[in-house]
Amino acid sequence: MLRSCVARLRVLGAPPARRPGPVWRLFSSEKVIRKDYGLPNPSWSKDLRLLFDQFMKKCEDGSWKRLPSYRQNPTQILKDFQTRFVDPSFTKEEQMSKAQQFSRSFEEGLGFEYVMFYNKVEKRTVCLFQAGLHLQGVPGYVHGGAIATIVDITTGMCALAEGIAMTANLNIDYKKPIPLCSVVVVNCQISKTEGRKLFVSCSIQSVDEKTLHTEATALFIKLDPDKRLT
Amino acid sequence: MMRTGFQRVARLVHHKALPRNPHLLPKLHQASAFGSSTDSLVARFCPEKTDLKDYALPNASWCPDMLSLYQEFLEKTKSGRWIKLPSFKSNREHIQGLKLPSGLVTASDKQDWRIFTRCILLEGQGYEYVIFFHPSEKKSVCLFQPGPYLEGAPGFAHGGSLAAMMDETFSKTAYLAGEGLFTLSLNIRFKNLIPVGSLAVLDIQVEKIEDQKLHMSCIAQSRDKQTVYAKCSGVFLQMQLEEDPPQ
Repeated sequence: MLRSCVARLRVLGAPPARRPGPVWRLFSSEKVIRKDYGLPNPSWSKDLRLLFDQFMKKCEDGSWKRLPSYRQNPTQILKDFQTRFVDPSFTKEEQMSKAQQFSRSFEEGLGFEYVMFYNKVEKRTVCLFQAGLHLQGVPGYVHGGAIATIVDITTGMCALAEGIAMTANLNIDYKKPIPLCSVVVVNCQISKTEGRKLFVSCSIQSVDEKTLHTEATALFIKLDPDKRLT
Repeated sequence: MMRTGFQRVARLVHHKALPRNPHLLPKLHQASAFGSSTDSLVARFCPEKTDLKDYALPNASWCPDMLSLYQEFLEKTKSGRWIKLPSFKSNREHIQGLKLPSGLVTASDKQDWRIFTRCILLEGQGYEYVIFFHPSEKKSVCLFQPGPYLEGAPGFAHGGSLAAMMDETFSKTAYLAGEGLFTLSLNIRFKNLIPVGSLAVLDIQVEKIEDQKLHMSCIAQSRDKQTVYAKCSGVFLQMQLEEDPPQ
């Protein structure tokens, strides 16, 4: 949820904690700039790149906006969230430094390869998603839980545009299995708001729009600034 | 139906896939109307000897709660009523000798598949979990400890990671209880956040099996049951795997 706040800031922060595997180039001249994962990389298939280009074109007139995506929340935002919403006894300093966004905890091409675009007028978020080999469920297909995750993330982005919110309900209907390594389009839109409740509807379709893979609805609750979560 | 179940088990014993010691064979239960009995499914799923690495075993990252509850359940497996399920790196390893019905098999020359819930193999960083299954009552318990790589809100597990853990536990339960294969629907109500590094206990129950669908319910809560993290209902589609004779 705080990712959206992060997305709006170009923050200079410390590089993420070291982890085994490829070392990401995070330094650009003297400034430390965190890597934006919502951009093409060598693991992206042709389908994904084509779609990306199509949507980047839509951004040209300002109606659509590409959302940047980082692996970690900057330290200041972490501290703010903890202070406002979390009981002090919950803060674990050591774990905070190791933590990273779930959907970006994979090596290139093996997990969630995705980029999100947002349309402010329509309150719609579109996520172009390519599932890698480490998201497997039934052999050859994307795990139901990975699909639930991408639905949660994309509907969450939609809700986040209205303010910090938490997922309350997630209802997912799986229609057709999604083959591993294929590209799908996740389309989410706010369908209704009732006070602090945000209702978001979501569909996952194939690139040619001929296959409806998944339909989902999510309910998000905007956090009460006066109440703690724990 | 019972005889088919017996025949299958007998065949497995004959082919040395199952040990001959009777006390290791689970008590035979009523076979499901669909195909293989739960017992033959379990027997095939839990190989006596295997070179495959089982990730559902304690390691240094497990918190004390998880370790002690694990020991409690391990004691219960001695009577044969509960079974600890192995957890391999990929579902392909779980269904060795079996394959999807033709039409669903995807040709792939790639080797590095990994089941989603074992995507992060660094100890303690991703999903730490173990599932215990109770064949006669068609229920499961999953001990789940989310690591820092599963973070959503700072210091807490991402809702998607809990959804995935529920889906995965449903999946293994549905498969063993009645050859459930594909998720048809998930309905999750999130109540409270799970702090990263703490233990969440998932209790799953098969509610009914009808029209080729398995209906299950799940509640995820703290060990002392004082905090409910989420409730979920799931429906899985039954689909029989086919024998895949070695080439």
